[in-house]
Amino acid sequence: MPREANAVDFWRGFALITIFIDHIPGLVYSHYTLANFSISDAADLFVFLAGWSLRLMAEGGGRVMPTRNIMLRLGGRALEIYAAQVLITMIAIAMLAGSAIEFSNPLLLQWHNAAAVFNDPVPAHIGLAALTHQLGYFDILPLYVVLMLMAPFFALLDRLAPQLLLPFSVAFYLIVLAFRLTLPTWPVSGTWFFNPLAWQVVFVLGFVLAKADAGPGAFVRRHIRWLRVLGVPIVILGALTHQFNWWPDPTKVPDPKLFFIADKTFVTPMRLIQFLALVAVFSITFPYIRKAAEIEALRRPVLALIGLLAMLGRNSLHVFCIGSLLSLTAQIARFYYRGTVWIDTAVVIFGIIVMAVTAWLAEARQRFRAPAPAC
Amino acid sequence: MASRGTTTLQGARAGVLIAALAVALAFDARAQTPAPSTAPAAAPFTKDCQVGATPIADESPLPNVASVLAKRKTLRILTMGASPGPAGRHGGYSAVIESILERALKGIDVVIINRGVSGELAADAAFRMKNEVALDEPDLVLWQVGTNDALAYVPADQFASTLKTQIDWLKNHKVDVVLVGLQFASQMLRDAHYAEIRDTLRKVAARENVIVVRYYEAMQFVEEAAREGGVSAEEFELTESGSNCLAQYVARAITLGVFAKNLPPRR
Repeated sequence: MPREANAVDFWRGFALITIFIDHIPGLVYSHYTLANFSISDAADLFVFLAGWSLRLMAEGGGRVMPTRNIMLRLGGRALEIYAAQVLITMIAIAMLAGSAIEFSNPLLLQWHNAAAVFNDPVPAHIGLAALTHQLGYFDILPLYVVLMLMAPFFALLDRLAPQLLLPFSVAFYLIVLAFRLTLPTWPVSGTWFFNPLAWQVVFVLGFVLAKADAGPGAFVRRHIRWLRVLGVPIVILGALTHQFNWWPDPTKVPDPKLFFIADKTFVTPMRLIQFLALVAVFSITFPYIRKAAEIEALRRPVLALIGLLAMLGRNSLHVFCIGSLLSLTAQIARFYYRGTVWIDTAVVIFGIIVMAVTAWLAEARQRFRAPAPAC
Repeated sequence: MASRGTTTLQGARAGVLIAALAVALAFDARAQTPAPSTAPAAAPFTKDCQVGATPIADESPLPNVASVLAKRKTLRILTMGASPGPAGRHGGYSAVIESILERALKGIDVVIINRGVSGELAADAAFRMKNEVALDEPDLVLWQVGTNDALAYVPADQFASTLKTQIDWLKNHKVDVVLVGLQFASQMLRDAHYAEIRDTLRKVAARENVIVVRYYEAMQFVEEAAREGGVSAEEFELTESGSNCLAQYVARAITLGVFAKNLPPRR
């Protein structure tokens, strides 16, 4: 049986739908997602909740998983995500190639960093396998793979010296920012769009804050009211900054500049602080959303919403993969059928239905799996 | 047609100017020592990249680059937008530009910083570009822009506003910009929005007096030249040669811009 709807799955489902919409450039609805009202966006939430889930996996349900099991499980998870990345990248390449043939338009072969794959396949395929060549909008899972490879170390450090994990992660993050350390891309020269060396801090924050009974997680729970009071103006300021273009001129800030500018690749402090404020403020909402289901008139839609988002969140890898391919399908569809509000509406509705069916199928597969025959 | 004729004339005028500058500097070099390290040498296009009389770029000055070259021996170029191709035998788009420019601008070390994100809209690239300018301190930004906005049906006025605001920001921060226009596909010839974005790009660039490398027109010429057989423009664009040609057009446009510092603004 799938677990009951909870806040983590609910918000992860929310992040998945948001990422799907954000990854369709030009879509009418992409102007109304979190990224338009906030310095951080759904990617931050997705990575933060991945860290949170790691804690639930390691210590959930009141039992502490043995360290060796955690290592094996995380290694397996990294491999699973890597396989998913390779699979969806190959399907995306085939979709671009198929569309180019079907519509006799080779422009599609140059979309989303795919040109190297078609022009110079020998190094490009090495890059695809090594994750150093990533298609545009197919760059979150490589980050996730690296985070999962780092995760055994985080989990181990958390077991041995839990008080050191967050200081270590933050110190490493600051060094990365100060020296602009990043991972290169190849064969097309450049850098990873999501720099795992910096984004690890978001993942670790999720992992650390998920621990309710000790450390920063316990501190945050004790002082959540004050943190929300502090968070509200930060969230409002973030929205206003976006709305009125109040961004600081990055050339005018002191060195090291990454400490003071808003940058997604390095998930800079401005972005990180605003994201944490957002989490503090919006963490209050899920219980109220659930409470809204007690109102008779709202019961069905609210339960449906909670059920849908939580189901998407519970099956995040499957849904994320399908969502990425749906975003690309939507881009191709919008290109050929013109990006009208009707097409965009159809794209979003269709996309959410397919993501829901994917999640349902993943759970149905678990439910209907035949029990192993007794020996 | 009239505007095309005018641009052709402008291209011819620029060619004469470059030749005159080259001759003048050559004579000057003989008369004085040491020779100017930045003698212009607008390299001819390789056979594959010949585009007849098609203007590849309007001549517009790159005042900041010219001023930087007078002071130091390094030219830093930031590339934004889709990367047109892989490394290949010649090292790819960036390496070809670097090599041509280093040959043309003798004694200058050209550093190319690639921060392109494929599929990115102009508005997103513009935001990121400000950070990259602050972090990498380039003298020139090479921005391949328009194709993604055209394919995503971004309204032309919104695209124009993004472009203008960004060009103004770059000018205010003493960074020159060379725009690389939309990619060519014969299927897009009848696409009104694609044409509108192309036209918008050209108009904004003309108003702002910045160079646009007309990749679309160059490839259109290749397409017409290949009618009787051979490789089509779209296929050509996808080859290493296609990527190299774009690099040659860009490098030519930059050298034109460096030595066109005394030109009056275009109308």
